[in-house]
Amino acid sequence: MTITRINIGPVHPSTHGVIRLVVDLDGDTIVKVEPHVGFLHRGVEKLAETRMYMQIPPYTEKLDYVAPLAYDEAYVATVEAALGIEVKERAQYLRVIELELQRIASHLLGIGTLCNDIGQMFTTFMWAFKDRDMVLDLLQEATGSRMFHVNMRLGGLHSDVPPDFVDHTISLMDYMEKRIVHYEKYIEKNTTFKERMVGVGVLTKEKAIELGVAGPVLRASGINYDVRKNRPYYVYDKFHFNTKTLYDGDNFSRYKVRMLELKESVRIIKAVARAMPDGDALGMPIKLRSPNPVNRIAVVSRELPRGECLLYMVADPQKPYRLSIRSPNMINLAAISHMAKGARFADLFAILGSLDIVMGCIDR
Amino acid sequence: MPYNNTIGNIANIPYWMGSQNPLYNIIGIIIYVIIISITFSIFGYVVGWLERKLIARAQNRHGPTYVGMWGFLQNFADLVKLLAKEDIIMERADKLLFMVSIPLILALSVFVILLFPYSPSLQATSLNFGLLIILTIIAFFPITLFAAGFSTGNKFAGISAQRSVLILLSYEIPTVLVVASIVLISGSYNMASIVASQSSYYYVLLVPIGFIVFFIALLAEFERPPFDLREADSELISGWLTDVSAPYYALALFIDYARMFLGSILIAILFFGGWLGPSFLPPFFWIVAKAFIISIFIIMIRATAFRMRIDRILRFGWEWLIPLSLINLIIAYILFV
Repeated sequence: MTITRINIGPVHPSTHGVIRLVVDLDGDTIVKVEPHVGFLHRGVEKLAETRMYMQIPPYTEKLDYVAPLAYDEAYVATVEAALGIEVKERAQYLRVIELELQRIASHLLGIGTLCNDIGQMFTTFMWAFKDRDMVLDLLQEATGSRMFHVNMRLGGLHSDVPPDFVDHTISLMDYMEKRIVHYEKYIEKNTTFKERMVGVGVLTKEKAIELGVAGPVLRASGINYDVRKNRPYYVYDKFHFNTKTLYDGDNFSRYKVRMLELKESVRIIKAVARAMPDGDALGMPIKLRSPNPVNRIAVVSRELPRGECLLYMVADPQKPYRLSIRSPNMINLAAISHMAKGARFADLFAILGSLDIVMGCIDR
Repeated sequence: MPYNNTIGNIANIPYWMGSQNPLYNIIGIIIYVIIISITFSIFGYVVGWLERKLIARAQNRHGPTYVGMWGFLQNFADLVKLLAKEDIIMERADKLLFMVSIPLILALSVFVILLFPYSPSLQATSLNFGLLIILTIIAFFPITLFAAGFSTGNKFAGISAQRSVLILLSYEIPTVLVVASIVLISGSYNMASIVASQSSYYYVLLVPIGFIVFFIALLAEFERPPFDLREADSELISGWLTDVSAPYYALALFIDYARMFLGSILIAILFFGGWLGPSFLPPFFWIVAKAFIISIFIIMIRATAFRMRIDRILRFGWEWLIPLSLINLIIAYILFV
């Protein structure tokens, strides 16, 4: 048995950022995978200790550059928990809409890059990118910016949405419903796709709990846990939606969970948009001095597109004493050594694509 | 033979060769080589441009637009850029093998291309065993590709070369078996007489299973998607081209189109009646047009196919293509011999 050691990355076409994988191959079978992280380390947690509360959202947004609004909201919610600020009702509805739009944008990109990783020449990727762009246009309408929105303010939003935003949202969701069905048909009827995905990179239920994976990866392994459902925040508990759980734990389940979540997100957005109350949604403007914290320690858990994110903050007056982030991507990536063992070399990238990692969030 | 001023007869090589004057011989060969080289260069260029344009259309993109009309000169600009770049050969590379192997693959492809009959009069030489010779030369591709992959000394290139050889070796068998069924029907290894024997029915109608098997096997042999494991960019970066730079890279890109031209012409000759067609256009036009349509079909597969895994490709070859090609051979023997 000769072992070939191959170094993949940090610069490689399908590593979703700068990650280095050291792979030991026996013929075409993977014996060992060792991920090395830290190439995108920007010291956000340390930087947060030197900035005032509302100076930090631009940094946290750039952690997950595929779903920046979700991180924006998670951080601001932590500060709100520390300062004891209530979010206005209309702002809660709008936040839920924006978060779910961000989830749709993120999952579309995830599915597109997954198809790329298993060797399709950019077709699904480009289609998904076009649809994602329409979602981004809608977010731009709401927040004024396409990528890094910095839209959350303490107790509300930076600005209320334009009057026809709700109509635009509902019509886009009608379109999106059709597109999702189209993707499902197009991708899942492809036998090569199913061959590459079904039964590959299996993560059993026990192992998923042991490794502590989060989000779609966890739900694909048969564990029905979603922060939106189990510990609801904002108005998630007022609307009916299902958390989608599959039981195989392979690549295909992970892909399928994302696909089903897209449909659920569309449902949530439609329901929330129709039930949106009138009123004021504006939060506190950014001032030099913010109110002093009422809680010394704030812990907030949020369901990001990639899984459960836990933010732990020790609050000082005016700025955090310590901000710690439990990134779902980091935990999911750690599972790859286990999942890829015994798989074929080409499957490594299918598995990596099905985890849908973002390196900015891992290296922080 | 009277001199006839059409494209076909300017370079009537058998005619020139038959004459005793060696000068005529050389002139005839030069004219023939020039015509075929220009044809296949233009063919390769147009197909290369169409590949970018059509795949872009399939993906809601525009493709190249800036250089030339509809971006027609984009590939030319890319070629100039590649030729202007520094030619780097890695220190760990086997320099001689590296410098020889890629031009050698192109030379082999061009050699096969020059051996095809393009019309009753436009053919280098009327070989009685032309088909066998072509299959023999195609069988050299695995060795040269293996050499090219390993000469750079890169691990990704090494894996890519191994995969290449595995695929080529297992897909050679169905190719040869299908060709055997055609030889059974036509009773000849001579490509010109194979084409001539299709004047009533194209062989694609007589051996449809054989055509499908041959098409898939040829896709695999020329490593077009979904069999493009050699250049699996999601795992092997660029496969055997990872360490290949500038002029060699340009050559390597051209090899793909040369091989695509080779395969399309071979399919046109074996299954679609070669140069046969309505007589208002010269026969040479028909064979190139048929090859062109086949190439477009090969391109469009690339826009949608997912890449297969190496074990699955080999299983597919042994479990499906080889039995099917054997069945095809038996059917052809029972029905048409």
